[in-house]
Amino acid sequence: MLLIKCPYCGERDQSEFTNGGEAHVTRPKNPEQVTDREWAEYVFIRSNPKGIYYERWVHSHGCKKWFNAVRNTSTDEILLTYKIGETPPLIKKFQNILKSPSGEPDVGSGNFTVKKP
Amino acid sequence: MTDNKIYFKFDGKRYGGNKGDTIASALLRNNVKLVGRSFKYHRPRGIYTCGIEEPNALVQIINEHNEPNVRATVKKIYEGMVVKSQNRWPSLKRDFGSVNNLLSPIFSAGFYYKTFMGPKGFWKNLYEPLIRRTAGLGKPPHEFKSKSTHLHHNVDILIIGGGLSGLLAAKKLAGTNKDVLLIERENELGGILKNSNKIKSINDQEALEWLEKTERLLKNSTNIKILKNTTVTTYNYSNHLTAIEDKSVGAQPENKKPELVLHKIRTENTILANGHIERFLSFRNNDLPGVMLAASFEKYIQRYDVVPDNNPIIFTNNSSTFSLLQLLINRNCKPKAYIDVRDVKKIERETLNLLEAHNIPFYPKSEVEGCDGNSEIKKISVRTKKNKIIKIKASMLCVSGGLNPDIHLFTQSKGLVKWDEKILTFKPEKSFQNTITLGSVSGNFIFKNIIEEINKKLSFIDGTNDIDLKIEVNGSEEFNIKEIWETKNNNKSLWSKSFIDLQNDVTTKDLTQAIREGFDRIEHLKRFTTNSMGTDQGKISSINALGIVSKLLRKSVSEVGTTTYRPPYNPVSFSAIAGRSTYEFYDPERKTPIHPWHIKHNAVFEDVGQWKRPWYYKKYENETMNEAVQRESKHVREAAGILDGSTLGKIEIKGKDALEFVNMMYTNSFTKMRPMSAKYALMLGEDGMIKDDGIVCKINDNHFISTTTSGGAANVLSHMEEFAQTEWPNLNVYLNSITEQFATFNISGPKSRMILSRVFNDVDFSNNKFPYMTFKNINYLNYRVRILRASFTGEQGYEIYVPPKYALTLWERIFYYSRDIDLVPYGTETMHLLRAEKGYIIIGQETDGTVTPLDLNLNWMIGKKKKDFIGKRSLTRSDIIKADRKQLVGLVPIDKTYGIEEGQHVIEDKNIPSKIDKPIKMLGQVTSSYFSPTLNHSIAMALIKGGNRKIGSQIYVSTSNMNVIPVEVVKPNFLDPENKRLLS
Repeated sequence: MLLIKCPYCGERDQSEFTNGGEAHVTRPKNPEQVTDREWAEYVFIRSNPKGIYYERWVHSHGCKKWFNAVRNTSTDEILLTYKIGETPPLIKKFQNILKSPSGEPDVGSGNFTVKKP
Repeated sequence: MTDNKIYFKFDGKRYGGNKGDTIASALLRNNVKLVGRSFKYHRPRGIYTCGIEEPNALVQIINEHNEPNVRATVKKIYEGMVVKSQNRWPSLKRDFGSVNNLLSPIFSAGFYYKTFMGPKGFWKNLYEPLIRRTAGLGKPPHEFKSKSTHLHHNVDILIIGGGLSGLLAAKKLAGTNKDVLLIERENELGGILKNSNKIKSINDQEALEWLEKTERLLKNSTNIKILKNTTVTTYNYSNHLTAIEDKSVGAQPENKKPELVLHKIRTENTILANGHIERFLSFRNNDLPGVMLAASFEKYIQRYDVVPDNNPIIFTNNSSTFSLLQLLINRNCKPKAYIDVRDVKKIERETLNLLEAHNIPFYPKSEVEGCDGNSEIKKISVRTKKNKIIKIKASMLCVSGGLNPDIHLFTQSKGLVKWDEKILTFKPEKSFQNTITLGSVSGNFIFKNIIEEINKKLSFIDGTNDIDLKIEVNGSEEFNIKEIWETKNNNKSLWSKSFIDLQNDVTTKDLTQAIREGFDRIEHLKRFTTNSMGTDQGKISSINALGIVSKLLRKSVSEVGTTTYRPPYNPVSFSAIAGRSTYEFYDPERKTPIHPWHIKHNAVFEDVGQWKRPWYYKKYENETMNEAVQRESKHVREAAGILDGSTLGKIEIKGKDALEFVNMMYTNSFTKMRPMSAKYALMLGEDGMIKDDGIVCKINDNHFISTTTSGGAANVLSHMEEFAQTEWPNLNVYLNSITEQFATFNISGPKSRMILSRVFNDVDFSNNKFPYMTFKNINYLNYRVRILRASFTGEQGYEIYVPPKYALTLWERIFYYSRDIDLVPYGTETMHLLRAEKGYIIIGQETDGTVTPLDLNLNWMIGKKKKDFIGKRSLTRSDIIKADRKQLVGLVPIDKTYGIEEGQHVIEDKNIPSKIDKPIKMLGQVTSSYFSPTLNHSIAMALIKGGNRKIGSQIYVSTSNMNVIPVEVVKPNFLDPENKRLLS
C-alpha cells in the first residue's frame, strides 16, 4: 500500500484515497466549437506512459480534497503532490530518478528480479 | 496420569509429546515417520524439514474447525488436539489413490491439459469431479466465526528475524531514539543459536547464555518491541509490510480471543535478517519417508531434544553438515555413513579428523543414487568414487544440497538479486526501498563477518555505536559447496522417480519433458509443470529446478532467471485478512428512522446499497411477494399509499454561483425557474451517458437541494465535488450531503391530498395554491417540514421531508388521520411497478452507462438554450445521433394472458432454429417487466435498436424455455398518458 502525502492532511495510507486519472486534461472552453475528434481527445484519450505521470487523486476518506501527484508508473513511487491550481513541476526535474527497480527498458512490462550476467 | 506429557490424536491414535513440541517433533518422538500422501501419485510421505519450508507434512486439525494444510513442522501440540493426515482413503497405510503411482508413467507434465479435451460435458461431469477427489490437499474447513483482528504499527526500524544478526542489530539500536519492532517467526528468539551448535561462544559466553542476556537487555529497552510467533508475509511498496501473529500457539484457540492478528507495519527502514533455507537434492525416491534435510535433523535434536534416528546416513555437497556430524557423535549416535560429493581435498580437516577418529564409513566423491523401501527407507544405494553401487541398510538419510538466502521478502520489495558463483545461489544485490539485509539472507554465511557487516550497514543510523563482540565457532567456517542438483539414476524403469517439487509431485523427468515440448522459459515451465506452485512455494527446491533447467538449456542460472516471488511468503488464512469485517460487521447497515415500524408491520427488506428498504409488506402470513405487490399497487391507484423514501440521496448546493453550477451539472435549465419550485433533472457524464436522475428544488439562485438515487448518492456528490474543485475552482459553491438530515415519505394516490389536508390542516393543498412541482416549508408542531408536490407513480402525490427525530411520530400521525381511508404502506417493488406503468425510468434498470437522454426520448429535459453543461457536446457526436441506436419502447403481449420475462432478448424473427449454429439477430433487451393489476395484463419496457420507428409493429421476446412471445411495440407509457391523475 502506497503512502500518499495529501497536501492538506499529510501522509496517509493509500486506502484513504481514490485515483482520478490523468491530471491537467483541460476541458475545452467552447465545447460547441471543437470537432468530434477534439472532443473525444478530451473525454476518452489519456496518455499512458511508462515513467513520469501527472495524475489526480482525491482524499476521499479524509478531507475530500482533490490534488495532483507525480507518479513514476514503473516503480509506483509518488514523487510529489501539489494542490489544484499550482503550477505543475517540469518533467525535467525527475530526469535522474530510477526508471524501474531493475533499470529495465523504457517500454515493456514486468520487473526483472535477476541482475543480468 | 502423572507424567508431564501432552496427549493428542493423530489419525485416531493417541500420542504423547513434550511441552513445546510441534506435531512433527512429537510424531518423531513416537517414531512415526509416515504422515501423509502426496498430491498426485499418493506416494507415502514423511517429515522432510523442521519449519515453515515443509512440503510434505501437511495435516488437518479436526478440532479447529477442520483447518486444512497445517504444517506439522510448525503447529505446536496441546492437550486434546485432534490431527488427521490428508489426501488418503481409506487410511494412510492403505491408500486407494496410490493406484495413481502405478499409472504414473502417463501422468507426466501437461497430462491433464492434453488428455481431458472431450467429449463435451465430460470435463464438468466426469473428469473434474474425479480428479478433484483423488488430487489435492486437505478438505475445506467448516464454517466458523473469525475472531482475528488487525493492528497497525508505525515504526522507524523493522527487524525481521530474531536470530543472531537480528539480535545484534536490535542490540545496536537499543537505547537510541528509534522506534524498533523486532519480529520473530518462532516462539523463542535465537534462530541459529537454538537450531545448531555451530556457535561455540560469544564474548566467551556460551551461545545460549549470551542469548538470554541479550533478550533481557532488549526487553528492558523502551524503544524496542518484540513480536514472537509472527511471520512477515508481505513486503509492499512504501515500506509497508504485513505480518501474521499466531495468538494461540500450543493451546486450543480461546473462544473470546483472536486466534490470529494481522499486523500492518509502516516503517522507515527495514532490516531483513530472516536467514536462509536449506535446499534438498534430487535422487531416486528422494521423497521416501526417512529422507530429511540435514539442518532440520539437527534442529530437532537441538531445539526439541528429539533424535529422529540414531544412526542416519549423511549426504552432502558442502561443509554445513559438520555441526550435525559433531552433534551426533557427542550424543553417541554414530552415523552409518558420511557421503560427500566433494573430493577429499576439498573437505576440511576437522571433518576428516572426526570421521577418522570415530571410524565412520566415509565416501568422498560419491553420491546417493537412490533409496528403497515400501513406506519408509530400508536401504540406501551409494555410487562410490569408482562408480560402483553399494547398498547400505539405514532408516534415515540427512541431505544437504546447499543453503539459499531467504530472498523471498527481499524480491517482494522489488530488490534485485544476483547469482553468486561461490555459494551457488541468489543473493541480494541492490535494494529498491530502504531495505538492509544482514547475515545469511545477504549471502554472508560466515559468522565472524557478521559484526563487521552490521557495523558497516547500520552506521548511518544516528545514535548508534559500533558493537564489538568476539564470536567463536565450532569447526571451520568454510562452506565450499560443489555444484550438484541431481544424481545419476541407475534405475531405467518408467516408474522410477526423482522429485524436484515434493508437494506438487513434479519429477525431474517432467522438467526435461517440458523443455522438450518447448516450455524453455522459466515462467512457462513453472506453469506447465506446476513446479514450486504448492503452498510451500518450492522453498527447498525452486533453486534446484533452476539449476537443472540451466544445465538442460546449457545456459547460466542468471540467464535462466527466477520466477517472480509474490506475496504472501507463507499461506495466509482468509480469516486473518477478513479480521473483524465478517457477517454483520462486513458492511455497515443503514436503516431509516421508520425501520422499527416496518418490522412491526411485517416488511420484507431489500438491500439498496447499504440501506435496508422495505421491499413489500406481508399483510398475512402466507402472502407471496407477487400477491403483496398486486394488492399494494392496486390500492395506491384506487386510494392512497405511503413509501418510506428516506434513503433517497440529498445534496445541498449553496453559494453565490450555485445557479451556474447546477446549470452545468444537470441537462435542464434552472435559470428561469421560479424559487420554491422543483424540476425532474438528469445528470450526464462527459460522454453524454446518463449518470443519475433526481429532483432539483430551487430555494433561490444561491440555494438548491437536489435528490439522487438511493444507491448513487455518494457517487453523485463526488462527481459534483470533482468538477467544483478541479474544473471550476473559481465558482463560489459549497456542497453538502444532507441525506440523513431528513427522512422522506412519498404519499401518492387519489386520496393523498385529502390525507395531508387533515394532517397539516393549515396548509392549502388545492391545485391552485400548491401546484405540481412546487414545494412549501412549513412549521408543524414546532419543527420544520418541507412538502414537495411530486410523484413517481403518476398519481396525485407529495413528498414530505422531516427531521429524522420526528419522523416516526409524523409517520404514525399520517396513519392515524387516514384510518378511515385505509392508507397502505408500500415497498420498493410496488414503487417499481407503479412507475413502470407510467414509463418512468430507473437508473441502473433502463440505463446501464451506455444510454443517452435521446435514447430514452427525454429530449424535453435538455435545456435547449443552454450553451454548455456536462456531456452536452457528446450528444451531437456522430455515434450518439445515429437513428438505429437502442431506444426505449414499451411492449405489450399480443395474447394478454402471457407474461414477459425481464432481461430477455427482443428479436425480430419468430422462429428460433432448433439447432443454433449462428448468432440470432438481437434487437435489444427487456429492461423492466411487470403484471399491471390496473390494466390487467403484462407490461414491459425494452431498449431496442431503432425503437422509435418500430412503434406499432409486432416483434418477439424470447423466453427461458426457448420459446418466443409475440408483442406489440408501444410508447413507453401505459397508463394515463395525458397525466390527468398526476395533475388532479
